[in-house]
Amino acid sequence: MTKLLEWLFGVSFVLVAWAVVSFDLLDLSLPQTYREVAWPMPLYLLVSFGCYSLATVGYRVATFNDCEEAAKELQEQIKEAKEDLRKKGLKM
Amino acid sequence: MFLVLLSVGMSLVVFSLVLFTYYSVWVIVLPFVDSDHVLHKYFLSREYSVILPGIAAVVLLLCIGAFTAVVMWKNRKPKKVD
Repeated sequence: MTKLLEWLFGVSFVLVAWAVVSFDLLDLSLPQTYREVAWPMPLYLLVSFGCYSLATVGYRVATFNDCEEAAKELQEQIKEAKEDLRKKGLKM
Repeated sequence: MFLVLLSVGMSLVVFSLVLFTYYSVWVIVLPFVDSDHVLHKYFLSREYSVILPGIAAVVLLLCIGAFTAVVMWKNRKPKKVD
């Protein structure tokens, strides 16, 4: 079974469970408050995923650090490369 | 420069936390709270908890479409005349 089929099965199972609870398709007559909470669930999950993505982006922006050693090492390597190319005749 | 990064990042984190908490209380907690509790004063009626994210999604798609259109318009090349 491919990953796509697995995902589709999982998603459709969750969707069917949500529809049965929200629209009372099996006439289970759940209490009204539980139905009221279950009904916006797909949208709520989408909004919370968006909030989580935004928070992750914000956190990584806030903790972005300089790498002094890597910057110095890169400058050294640029110098070396320029020397090497000059020796081989490339005019800079 | 790091202060700018820190402030922007932290404000994004705080904003998303506030949004998540408000939306969670709105969708999950409110139906279980008695309708004469004072908490209901701070929240709009529940239909808006579906309409407002819908409007936000439409606005986001509009912005993305407008940005794409502007970029494509700027990069158009006039056809050469032979």
